[in-house]
Amino acid sequence: MILDLHAHSNASDDSRAPIEGYLKWLQKKREVVPVDGIVLTEHRQWSSEVDYRDLEDRYDTLILRGAEVETDYGHILLYGVTDEMARRFDFTDVHLRAQEVVTEVDRMGGIATPCHPGRPSIGLCEHYESKPALEGVRAVEALNGGSRRGENERVRGVMDEYGYKGFGGSDAHLVSLIGICATDFAADICDIDGLVRELRDGSYRAVDFRERVRAARG
Amino acid sequence: MADPLPEIDRDLIGREFDRTVSKPVSAERMIRYARACGETNPRYLEDGPNLVATPTFPITVRRERFVPEGIPMEVMYRGMDAGKDVEIGVVVRPGDVLTGVGSLHDIYDKTGRSGKLRFVVLRMVVTNQRDEMVAVIDQRMMFR
Amino acid sequence: MLDFGDDIPQLRQTLSSEQIAEYVKSANQVAPRFLSDEGGRKDGLPGQIAPGNMSLALFARLLEGAAANVEVRRISATFRSFVRPRVALVASGVVTDVEERDDGCLLECDLMLETESGERLVTGTGTVFVAQG
Repeated sequence: MILDLHAHSNASDDSRAPIEGYLKWLQKKREVVPVDGIVLTEHRQWSSEVDYRDLEDRYDTLILRGAEVETDYGHILLYGVTDEMARRFDFTDVHLRAQEVVTEVDRMGGIATPCHPGRPSIGLCEHYESKPALEGVRAVEALNGGSRRGENERVRGVMDEYGYKGFGGSDAHLVSLIGICATDFAADICDIDGLVRELRDGSYRAVDFRERVRAARG
Repeated sequence: MADPLPEIDRDLIGREFDRTVSKPVSAERMIRYARACGETNPRYLEDGPNLVATPTFPITVRRERFVPEGIPMEVMYRGMDAGKDVEIGVVVRPGDVLTGVGSLHDIYDKTGRSGKLRFVVLRMVVTNQRDEMVAVIDQRMMFR
Repeated sequence: MLDFGDDIPQLRQTLSSEQIAEYVKSANQVAPRFLSDEGGRKDGLPGQIAPGNMSLALFARLLEGAAANVEVRRISATFRSFVRPRVALVASGVVTDVEERDDGCLLECDLMLETESGERLVTGTGTVFVAQG
């Protein structure tokens, strides 16, 4: 099962993509971008009142939700966000303490995963050059669709050194970029608990559809 | 030591801080701008009754005050233009008198490749002499 | 007529230093960083840069090339990296939604301004109305 684990709708300040736009695109481009679902990971925010079941049914696409927060070790994707987590951490704070986030989110039943680790300043790799490694990290975003040349490649070293699993996400902020990078899970996932379980202990790998997308556009 | 990010009173959000009425737009100015944009469509370049301004012409409207009172211009000058959202209304024609009304729309922080960033969103609503909406322009200024 | 998923015809351009200077003069946006490499460096930049508004203008031209009888209704852009003179640029777009109306249709488009080597400088979206006939 293939999921895009990192996408931003127009709820994020720098995205112009309506959620339905993503779904229409995936529906029409299934042969090029064979993604079964997406995870919306909006910047610095969380609302438990949002419900996308109607859209899921209409487009036969799984829609899960997480969040992207900002910490002293760079940006981190949170999956399995609960109201308790949103009370525990101010998601709008750009100086969250990464170790607290990783530890507490795990304790509360979710998983915190550093994203675009190879990116300057907001990626884990650079912080690991001068700070102790975070405890409790299980997986990092090995493939990010918005990263520049060389940034994804930087992640391999950290993954090997610390034994991190790697997943993929598009980091889409535009409709046409959804699913260009994603994660291929061995197991079927039908809800956020399942995603958290698989990210923690399951089998998965990052997949890259960028060349297919480029070839399809000619 | 790097300059601190500008501190801006969030109570200013939504409040109009400038209202500037332009001189009538000249055909010459419209054509000069269109040429500078690389336009080749005669509707933007040939003076006459059918001449109209290019869609992005409204972003050239200048306010007398660029920022709310209380924010020094030197502070704003350190900012970089991070992006724009432009909603385009009626076309601009020679002789139109444009009014630009400025307000502070939003302020937020985030971190990026170059470190901690503060974004200040300035909105300008441009109307013509018939009070028709010409453009609504949100400009995101980035400070680091 | 463009349909969902169709590419808009690309625009390729290399801006000269003089073109950038002329743009900012015509747009009431004169500042040293837009006029010369020395002016840019004084502002702590790698050299002369084009203003973001010039990328918006390029996006507008790109959208107008999408079809005949096009009205640009909205343009949005995020300026991710500096647009420099003497660098070959490629502006491209793709239709991401089509809404039929009685007198034409509304097209939503993703827009991109990249270097020829694929570095993304500006990303954005646009909405155009394409009149029937």
